Amino acid sequence: MSEECLALTTYFGERDRTPRGLLGDELLEIYGELGLQASVLLRGAEGFGRLAHLHSDRLLTLSEDLPVVSIAVDSRERIEGALARVLQIKQRGLITLERARLFSGEIGRSALQPAPGEATKLTIYIGRENRRLRAPLFVTICELFKRRGLAGATVLLGVDGTRGGRRSRARFFGQNAQVPMIIVAVGESERIAEILPELGAVISDPLLTVERVQVCKRDGELLATPHELRGSDEHGLQLWQKLTIFSSHAAMHGGRPLHGEIVRRLREADAAGATSVRGIWGFHGEHAPHGDRFLQIRRHVPVVTIAIDTPERTARSFPIIDELTREHGLVTSEVVPALSARSAHANEGGLRLAGPARGPGSSS
Amino acid sequence: MSAGVWIGVALLGGVGACARFLLDSLIAARAGRDFPVGTLTINASGSLLLGLLTGLAVEGNLLVLAGTATLGSYTTFSTWMLETHRLAEDGEGGSAIVNVVLSLAIGVGAAALGRAIGAGL
Repeated sequence: MSEECLALTTYFGERDRTPRGLLGDELLEIYGELGLQASVLLRGAEGFGRLAHLHSDRLLTLSEDLPVVSIAVDSRERIEGALARVLQIKQRGLITLERARLFSGEIGRSALQPAPGEATKLTIYIGRENRRLRAPLFVTICELFKRRGLAGATVLLGVDGTRGGRRSRARFFGQNAQVPMIIVAVGESERIAEILPELGAVISDPLLTVERVQVCKRDGELLATPHELRGSDEHGLQLWQKLTIFSSHAAMHGGRPLHGEIVRRLREADAAGATSVRGIWGFHGEHAPHGDRFLQIRRHVPVVTIAIDTPERTARSFPIIDELTREHGLVTSEVVPALSARSAHANEGGLRLAGPARGPGSSS
Repeated sequence: MSAGVWIGVALLGGVGACARFLLDSLIAARAGRDFPVGTLTINASGSLLLGLLTGLAVEGNLLVLAGTATLGSYTTFSTWMLETHRLAEDGEGGSAIVNVVLSLAIGVGAAALGRAIGAGL
């Protein structure tokens, strides 16, 4: 089954509160009450927002209010219903709406009609401990993606979320088997169209979204610069751009971790914000899927860094990212058709969906 | 120790922890997160002050309150270790070693300097 859907993503601080409690809990409470098809709460490792305050888990004091990302996916009507309630409690931070296609249950071979040369981003929602033939499901899926020649895949562990309408929240003591994790994969649309039916055979209750993306860099090689967007659609609604950098925790630039250098340089260049989230397993490019090993000091997990900005500022940020990812990293670009950024000092953007942008990089 | 001293230890311990948090936040906001300058500054200044107290031959309840409670909760061994480990996790082994050696050298030097100043007053 497949349907057009919206993805509602919010970026905020771990310690942001509502009168009733922590914002992250309240958001997932709403998603759970509404029984949204898929949602997940992810904890970030480092980032900054429109106030340019840096949060990082490298230093103890800086890690007391780390970035948090929540993603919720369902039909347009249900997401708009959720958004109205989210806006009542969320006073600060970033909210985006993106169009996607949601697949669940049986996935047929003709589910996608890819055009040659296009790339697709696949986001799969699975439970933490879905296992098949003893290997964790995420390992099986990453191996499949690697074998089928996708550009990359990253497994991100959720701490809360809904799957098929049921909420499951991670607890300190407990199995947490149903708490969602997501696998974000990028590859040529034609290959992803071939993989979709295979996923149905590996996952007992598949739930995934598909979005079009533009692959800008792979393993240091520049494939394309992000599409130059006009700042708004034909009705004057503002458009935004999202750059995503998939790298490894072990990738370095100038003696420091690559993802940290990206965040630092973007902050110095007055970009609107950036958030890094550590994965637990994955690959991007020409190496086998990897994660951390027991008793090793240096970390090898994958890291995803997201920077959302105006098209003009994205055009300024990309050369910085291009320079830093000379050797490593997968970089994608997407169009964000609606964004609202609120802080104590400013109120930017709006949440009416802009029309599809021109050009093959649009996320229609 | 009297109940009053115990209450004093609890209160001043809280004061030391708050002072560390505020100072570390200020330093991190300026110095960034490349190297744990904040923790180094706090441990060095705490060592200097504790050296000064002992140099001044402060003893008894006053030493417990000012030294063990206030400076003991102001300085932090665990954060020093955690941040060193984080540097190593990030592949910055050189910075991790510098963080250990520099903190030790500056810390012992600061304590000795504090004692010398205290004894001279």
